[in-house]
Amino acid sequence: MRPDVTPLILFIASIFTSNILLSNFLGMCSFISVSKDFKSSNGLGLAVTLTLTITTALNWLVYKYVILPLKLEYLTYIVFIIVIAAVVQVLEMLIERISSSLYMALGIFLPLITVNCAIFGVALFMQLRNYDFIQSVFFGAGSGLGWWLAIVTLAAIRKKVDVAPIPSALKGPGITLITIGFMAMAFIGFSGMISVQ
Amino acid sequence: MDILTFIVAPMVLSLLSGALAFIIVLVDSLVNNYPDFTIDINNGRKKLTAKGGSSLLVTLSSQGIFIPSACGGKASCGACKVKIESDVGVILPTELPYLSEEEKKDNIRLACQIKLKNNIRLSIPEDLLYVKQFDATVESITDLTYDIKQIKLKLLSPDSIDFKAGQYVQLIIPPYGQIPEKTQRAYSMSNTPSDNQHAELLIRLVPGGLLTTYVHKFMQVNEKVVFTGPFGDFFLRDTKAEMICVAGGSGMAPIKSIIYDMYEKKNFDRSIWYFFGAKSARDLFYLDELKELERLMPSFHFIPALSNPDPADNWKGETGLITNILDKYLKTVIKASSPKEAYLCGSPGMIDATVKVLNVNGIASEKIYYDKFA
Amino acid sequence: MKMTPEYLKAQENMHAGIISSSGFLGSDSRLISDIISNDEELVQALGMNFTEITNRLKFFMEKALNGFGNPVTVDEVWEVFSEEARGVIPCPFEDGSFKKINIYVKKKGSKDSIVFSDLGIHLIEKHHFFQGRDAFFRLDPEKIKKILF
Repeated sequence: MRPDVTPLILFIASIFTSNILLSNFLGMCSFISVSKDFKSSNGLGLAVTLTLTITTALNWLVYKYVILPLKLEYLTYIVFIIVIAAVVQVLEMLIERISSSLYMALGIFLPLITVNCAIFGVALFMQLRNYDFIQSVFFGAGSGLGWWLAIVTLAAIRKKVDVAPIPSALKGPGITLITIGFMAMAFIGFSGMISVQ
Repeated sequence: MDILTFIVAPMVLSLLSGALAFIIVLVDSLVNNYPDFTIDINNGRKKLTAKGGSSLLVTLSSQGIFIPSACGGKASCGACKVKIESDVGVILPTELPYLSEEEKKDNIRLACQIKLKNNIRLSIPEDLLYVKQFDATVESITDLTYDIKQIKLKLLSPDSIDFKAGQYVQLIIPPYGQIPEKTQRAYSMSNTPSDNQHAELLIRLVPGGLLTTYVHKFMQVNEKVVFTGPFGDFFLRDTKAEMICVAGGSGMAPIKSIIYDMYEKKNFDRSIWYFFGAKSARDLFYLDELKELERLMPSFHFIPALSNPDPADNWKGETGLITNILDKYLKTVIKASSPKEAYLCGSPGMIDATVKVLNVNGIASEKIYYDKFA
Repeated sequence: MKMTPEYLKAQENMHAGIISSSGFLGSDSRLISDIISNDEELVQALGMNFTEITNRLKFFMEKALNGFGNPVTVDEVWEVFSEEARGVIPCPFEDGSFKKINIYVKKKGSKDSIVFSDLGIHLIEKHHFFQGRDAFFRLDPEKIKKILF
C-alpha cells in the first residue's frame, strides 16, 4: 500500500522534518569532509541532489518493472547499487566537461557519491515504504535538497567557527561533530510533525 | 527457488549492467567528443586548428609547437607557463603553487592544466615558435670525469638545427626499466652553431636522477633519442665588452659553445676570461683542449681553480673558492676601466655569490647574463 | 594510522622510476602509514622531536649552500658541501616542488656521513616521513642523532 502522503508534503518533509542527514544520519562521510569549503559544498550538494533525484526514479522503475515481475527481490540491493554507480559515472563525466574547477575541487568525493549511504538509503526507504513513482521522485529530490541544505549550512557555520577561539583539542573534527550534533538537535524539533510512511 | 531463478537472476543482472554500461559509453562519446577549435598564437602570428579535449600543452606539441616541460604535463615543474588572452575558466588548484601574484594578474597559466574546450588565444615568447622536435641517434658517449659524460647526438630528422651558442635543448628518453613514462630534461648544447648536425651535451650523474641515471647506466651508442629545441635566452650579446665567464662542471657546456663559436668566427677583439671552478683534480676536464684554445686565441684566458685539491693532485694552478679567484683577478690582473659583460652558468648559490663579487668590482647586474639552474 | 587517499597516491609516487630513479622506499614493502608511525615512535624513543631535527638539517643545508658546491667546515667538527641540479622535483604527497639540492655532511675524523635533500627535509617536516628502510636518501633518526648532533 502506498502511504497516504501527497508528493508535495513529502517533498517538504524530506527537506526539513525528515532531513536525511540531520534526522536519519545518512551521508555523513562527505558531509564532514567537504563542508570545509563552501564552494565545494555547494557543488557537491548539487551533485548529490541530481544523483538522488535520478537514481530514486530509475530505481523505482527498475524495481517495479524488472525485479517485482521476475520475483528477484533478493537482488534488490545489488541492482540499486549498480544503477547508482552508473548514474554517478555519467554525472562525473558531465561535471568534468562543464566545470573543470568543480571537478577538481570535488576530487575523490565525486565518485564517492556512489557509496554515500544517503543515496542508497533513500532508494531503500522508497522501496520499503512503497512509494509510487511521483512520490519517489519528490522524495528523492527533497532528500537531495535537504542534504544540500545541511551541508551548506554546516560549511557556513564552519567558516565562522574557524576564526573562533576553540580549545586546540577540539579543533577540526571535534568541533565539527559537536556542531552537527547541535544542528541535529535543532531539527529534532521537527520530528513527528509529518508522517512520511 | 527453482532452476529458472538460477538462470533468470544472473541474466537480469547482466542485461541491466550491460544496458547501463551502454548508456555510459554513449554519454562519454557525446560529452567527450570535442569539435575542432582554433588556437590563435601571438595575435594572429600563428593560427592552428585542433581537436579539443586534450591539454593545451599536448595539443600544441602535436601541432609542432613545443612549450618547455620537465614533468610531461603532471603539474609538477611549472615550466609550461603561457599567457592566455581569452577566457579559459578559473585557475585550477594544481596551477596555484607555480604562479606568483603578478603572474596570476597577468593571466599566466600552466599549459598542461588547460583543457582545450573552446577557441583560445594565447601569447608565448616568439622564440618558441622556432622550436622543433628532432629525431637523433647517439653518436658517441665519452667519460669526461667520474660523474660527467659527454653525449654527442647526430641529428636524423630534421637533419640540422639552427641555434645560438649558449641555448639548450630538452632531451626526451622513452620509458625504461621501472620508469613507466618518458622523461624530459634540459641540457645546454656545448657544440658550436656551425656544427649544426649535432647536439653535444654534458650530462652529470645526479644521484636518483631519472634521466641522468639512464644516460650513465643504460644509454648505448646508435640508440635513437628525441629532443626539442633550441630554447633559452643565454647567448653572446653583440658588443665589444670584455667577457667574464664563470661556470664549473657540466655548466661549462654553454660557455664552451660560446667561446668556440667566437674562435670560429674569428672574433678576437674581445678579451675572454673563463673561470672554471672545481673541487679537486678529478672534477676537471677539457684542460688540454682549453689550454690549446688559449694558445690559438690569445684573447682567451683560461683560469681553472680548485677549492679542495687533494695532495695527490699535485695542483699547481689557482687554489681557493672561484669567487675569491675571480675577485683577485678583477682587482689585480684584469683592466678595471674596460667595459665588461659576465656570462655565468651554475647553481643559484654560485650565481648569487658571483654576482656579488662582480657588482663589487663595478660590473652592473644588467650586464650579467646567466642560465640559472632551477 | 589509516592509508588515506593522499597516502595511497603518495605511496604510488614513491615507487622507483616515478619521481626519482630509485624511489623513496628502497626495498621496504610496508605501507607508508606504517613507516611513518614506526619512525615517529623511534624519534620519541631517541628523545628527539621533529622541530629540532628539521632545524638542524636546515642549519647544515644553509651552511653548505654558502659554499655553493665547495666544502665548508662547520663548528670545527663537520665538513659539509652541497650539490645542485637543474630543475625541480615534486613531492610525492603532491604538495609542492623543490629545488634539487643534495647536502653531504661528514663528521671530521670519522667515516660517518649522511646525505639528504631539500625535499627530504620537507618530507620530515610536513609528513614525518624519513623514507623507506634502505632508500638511498633515507634519514635514519638514529643516524641523524649520531652524526648531526
